[in-house]
Amino acid sequence: VSLQQFSALTEVLFRFLTEPKEVERFLTQLSDFATMNKISLGPLKNIVKSILLVPNGALKRNLSSEQVRADFIALGLSEEKASYFAEQWKVNSPTLTRLAVGQTLMINQLIDMEWKFGVTAGSSELEKVGSIFLQLKLVIKKGSQMENVYIELTLPQFYSFLHEMERVKTSLESFS
Amino acid sequence: QLVSALHNLTRHVVYCSLTRAEDILSLFPENFHQNLKNLLTKIILENISAWRNEAQASQISLPRLVDMDWRVDIKMSSDSISRMAVPTCLLQLKIQEDVALCGNSPVVSALTVELSKETLDTMLEGLGRIRDQLSAVANK
Repeated sequence: VSLQQFSALTEVLFRFLTEPKEVERFLTQLSDFATMNKISLGPLKNIVKSILLVPNGALKRNLSSEQVRADFIALGLSEEKASYFAEQWKVNSPTLTRLAVGQTLMINQLIDMEWKFGVTAGSSELEKVGSIFLQLKLVIKKGSQMENVYIELTLPQFYSFLHEMERVKTSLESFS
Repeated sequence: QLVSALHNLTRHVVYCSLTRAEDILSLFPENFHQNLKNLLTKIILENISAWRNEAQASQISLPRLVDMDWRVDIKMSSDSISRMAVPTCLLQLKIQEDVALCGNSPVVSALTVELSKETLDTMLEGLGRIRDQLSAVANK
């Protein structure tokens, strides 16, 4: 495989790694590559599979691009190609790292929040009430399912909730 | 029968929000004992705001927030990446189910929710908008 073909292939690979949802596009690009370069798709897929193992392993172990290059050379790739791949790795690693962090376990992740507030006009016990309430709907991801949680807050509760959340934000920012 | 009548009287007063002595006095029948009428009115007036608050606290509602706690964690490592330093927030909300349904033994459940920094920022934006809307309504 010439260097040019290798760099084209590497591009396809990295584009897939940075957008892992674009599986179809990746497969189409792979078969295009195969036909353009007169390589059969089957063995190409196998090679691609083994190549993909390297960046995934590198992410898990936080390897530098130097180490990625060394790994590839150890696997038998020529120096030129290994350096090219390592360069691409360095360029793409912020995106890849961000994706990996995004995949990290989150417990009961908050997905969405909706609200409405209104006035309680009357009830069976009090003819005229006139108190303001705030209703929050939190959409939470429990495992693979979404759950809706409805909560009512009084105004004082809302203000202290807002205050606490601002404190959380300050705290998070100081750690970033 | 007496207790039931008293109960009805007090419920009526609370329901209609009668706060003036004359209004309450006018509820009694013509030939009611004068001193008893005044005594009852006085007692009712003393208790009316407490009763009103209690009625409001026990009216039907969606589950209510009773308490909240938070903590900030730093995620250091995971199965998909071995070294990182990502701060995340864990928020615990104590929620009490509808008081009217639970009677004397309210059920309080704790819900722990995790928020990333981005989610928190979006949430704060939403809360800010609520605050602005509330002040707009209050100033009308």
